Amino acid sequence: MRLLKTGILAATFALSAGSALAQGIDDPTRAPYYDSFKGKRIAYVPVAMGFDLTEGWAAGLKEAFEPLGVTFDIRDPNWSTDAGAAAITSLITEKPDVIVVHNPDVQSYARLLKKAEEAGIYVVQVNMRSSYSTDAFIGADYVGMGQQIGERLVEKCSPANGGSGKVAITQGVLTAAASVYQMEGINNVLSQHPEIQLVSNQAADWDATKAKNIAATVIQQHPDLCAITGFWDVMDVGTAAAIKESGKNVYLLTQGGGNRMACDGLANGTYSEVVVYFVPGQARDMATMIKQMLQLKQPAGANKTTLFTPLTFLTKDNMTPASCWDLPTKN
Amino acid sequence: MAASDTIARWRYRYVPDHLLGEILAKRWIDNAIPLLILLIVVAVFGSLIPDFFGAASISNMMRQWGEFGLIVIALTIVMVAGGIDLSVGSVFALGNIVALGLLSVAEWPVPAVVAATLACGAAVGLVNGLLVGYLRLRAFLTTLVTLIIVRAVVDMLLLKYSVAIAAAFPDSELWYYFGEGDVLGVPFSVVVAVTLALVLHLFLSRSRAGWHVLAVGGSRRSAHNVGIPVRRVVCATYVLSGALAALAGLLFASRLGGAGADTGIGLEIAALTAAVLGGNSLGGGRGSAAKAVIGSITVMIMVNGLVRLGVTSGANSLLLGAVLLAAVGIDVRWLKNRHKFLSKVYVSPTYSQLPPAPATSGSSPYALNDRLRTVEAIGLGSIDGPEDVILDEDDNIYVGNRTGDIVRFLAPDYARQELFVHTGGRPLGMAFARDGSLLACIGGMGLYRITGDRRVEKLTDETNRSWLSVIDDSRLRLADDLDIAPDGRVFFSEATVRYEMHEWPVDCLESRGNGRIICYDPNAGTTRTVLKNLVFPNGICMTHDGQSFLFAETWACRVSRYWFDGPRKGTVEPVISDLPGYPDNINRASDGTYWLALVGIRTPSLDLALKMPGFRRRMARRIAPDEWMYPNINTGCVIRFDETGRIIETLWDFGGENHPMITSMREHKGHLYIGGILNNRVGRLKLHGMDPTWTGAGSYWGRK
Repeated sequence: MRLLKTGILAATFALSAGSALAQGIDDPTRAPYYDSFKGKRIAYVPVAMGFDLTEGWAAGLKEAFEPLGVTFDIRDPNWSTDAGAAAITSLITEKPDVIVVHNPDVQSYARLLKKAEEAGIYVVQVNMRSSYSTDAFIGADYVGMGQQIGERLVEKCSPANGGSGKVAITQGVLTAAASVYQMEGINNVLSQHPEIQLVSNQAADWDATKAKNIAATVIQQHPDLCAITGFWDVMDVGTAAAIKESGKNVYLLTQGGGNRMACDGLANGTYSEVVVYFVPGQARDMATMIKQMLQLKQPAGANKTTLFTPLTFLTKDNMTPASCWDLPTKN
Repeated sequence: MAASDTIARWRYRYVPDHLLGEILAKRWIDNAIPLLILLIVVAVFGSLIPDFFGAASISNMMRQWGEFGLIVIALTIVMVAGGIDLSVGSVFALGNIVALGLLSVAEWPVPAVVAATLACGAAVGLVNGLLVGYLRLRAFLTTLVTLIIVRAVVDMLLLKYSVAIAAAFPDSELWYYFGEGDVLGVPFSVVVAVTLALVLHLFLSRSRAGWHVLAVGGSRRSAHNVGIPVRRVVCATYVLSGALAALAGLLFASRLGGAGADTGIGLEIAALTAAVLGGNSLGGGRGSAAKAVIGSITVMIMVNGLVRLGVTSGANSLLLGAVLLAAVGIDVRWLKNRHKFLSKVYVSPTYSQLPPAPATSGSSPYALNDRLRTVEAIGLGSIDGPEDVILDEDDNIYVGNRTGDIVRFLAPDYARQELFVHTGGRPLGMAFARDGSLLACIGGMGLYRITGDRRVEKLTDETNRSWLSVIDDSRLRLADDLDIAPDGRVFFSEATVRYEMHEWPVDCLESRGNGRIICYDPNAGTTRTVLKNLVFPNGICMTHDGQSFLFAETWACRVSRYWFDGPRKGTVEPVISDLPGYPDNINRASDGTYWLALVGIRTPSLDLALKMPGFRRRMARRIAPDEWMYPNINTGCVIRFDETGRIIETLWDFGGENHPMITSMREHKGHLYIGGILNNRVGRLKLHGMDPTWTGAGSYWGRK
């Protein structure tokens, strides 16, 4: 009997050894890699769905994680801060593994994000950050971007370069990170350039209609306006329309995620210049950060990483077909 | 009995048809549809969303509901007074930015911030109130304008202060407690909202000022006519609404601390949807805190649930709009059709089989005669509906009339009459108490005493509430007849709890035991129902043993005896169970027997109809009340019987030529005085062979 058992055991060993040899050596990190994503859940709370940035991030994250078996949940507050706060609050109790947040302003979600981290959820903030720093922030360096934009405005409009010196700014939501930090950067530059006159600095709340009204009024008040810088290309469709209606030659410097629409706008003269933070790149950065978090398994809030997205200043002259990206067509 | 009759009898005994009408007549039935919608919403989202009923999920939703509930309560107050306040969303945003600004930028202490924020909201409300209340501008347009203006002010404040607010971190525990704190595990905002809902409920249902608000909403003109300061009331509702909206904004500010431009945008639509969905009428006058709470929970769950389900942008607003449309539709239809429906279903006949009617001819004791032909008329044409007649020791006659007076005809010739007292209700049965005061059942009011110096005093107008009764049967609707026991206890009948005085014949169509006999005990000061489910109990008369009384049940055509004392206490025994007509009042006769008035005589058609409740229900639903089949209450008679139920004599006016309409009779010194609820005189008939010195007071209280 014992002999028989030993025999079977030996045979099993021999067989398994043989099969291992036949397959070659397995990658030691492969199984832990896939295991670390199994059954994980990512929740995504943008300010709203239905436009290039949020759809682009969602597409990128889905592409990265769904093949790994990660559940990807979208909570769409549809421009309502309260609904967004409600979504995060309920997410805290639902305990997904990661929350990706796109903050409508720097304040509203701050305490909630802290609570989420305390509840053990990794929090990734994208593009517009909150005043509270979480595990990761992926997005533009808005202060730096503001400084660069400020410098472009000086370059374009300084009387020394033949401009009128009059510029206007159309912000988004005043308390949004994109507005607050960017203004900081622009102010840093403009304060050193008294020859540049800021004739209008208003908030259009990311709304093209409001942006159009603001621009139309400013151009009427200052027919010699040199440039308008708006904080989002989708919103600045309105600004562009106002400029076109006025028939004036106003330099429109806008910014956005580099969707095909931006390149089209440059090509047909809607925009003069677009500062692009490349959305697919941001999505990839987020995916990378999340993958790292899920594999390292450190407690939420243990590390705070910031990844600033590289910026490209696109004009009609320097853009190529590859400068802009397309949303994957939905089927 | 045929099998179909048996089935009908059991069916109508055990299926409580009448409850439908009674439930629909309740004010709280307005909440039924909103509550049903709430349950459906809870069921749908509860099954769609995992962990929807989890403690944490409930707690989250409650915290959001606190703020939203306050807004809906604010709007409800204005709507109840007949107005509308669209500016709540903007005032909410204003409360948010003012609170944040004062706290973060001006660095005020928290209590001052709270006071200033509320004052700010109230000030906006005051502007609305002055414009709508005093200058009589249209509420919809005015508050729409305020909505826009306040929103513009908020935008301007945002432009100036929002970055400063975003940069500041107030470090006040008290401040964060508003948004994040709990009271015994319940979020602070919910405690505030529930407390205010309770206050509003008590205010609207229990306070004079609340009734004023409801009255103004119900009919501004009538409210003005009764002396309510309409303008001030309307203005005050807007001030309250503004203050509450600002309070909600303050709680929101504490919870999120964000001076976002989207704060409160579209909130007025959500709040309006909630208020209307809860059943608060857009027309005013109908609304309650409960409705506001139900509606706000429903809308909150829907909005929150859709976000949690991850539905695409826009679906939320679409759903909200659709729900508002449906709610307004239901509101209008419900208001319009409820009374129609109620009047159709309220009359709820049941099965009633009367014993065969005895003959009124030949050798029957009920045989027709014309002994009432010689009745003299007292006060002919000058008295309207003397239901009961009673005489005092000085032989004066007292009768009630249709306009609420008790009239006295003065002895000895009764040619003169005077107004004894005005009661305000419908005086029915009367009796003299031991102390000589007159006790009267007054329909629509209750049991009253009229003292010798003509003061009208209420003895009782309510009895104990039955726990299982839908109708509030503690109130006395139709106190009918009374008699007084030797110890002073007053036993009186209430004919029906389902109909008011003027509809009393309709109760016959039901022939259900809707009535009861109630005992008022002056010694203990209590009122208790002693016998229930009687079929229109009417006359009551003490027997001579001092332990029991006889009572008549009109639509059941019977007289029974009830022992309230002695060895047989609590038992009921039939005395006459097959009267040929509908018995009314019973009174003592001088020889120890009893007089009984029959208000009308049974007809074979109605007797048959009483066995066909389905037929009567169809009749009540399909044809106008004027054309319904009613009992005959035009021709009656007077009967004398003894305690064994033997009929001694019957007094008719055959052909109805002189005195046919009879509801009561009273023997006094050899005469019989006859009253009739639809008659225009008091009849007086000389009795032969009866004691000419006998009086009721003497029989009861031993006086001459």
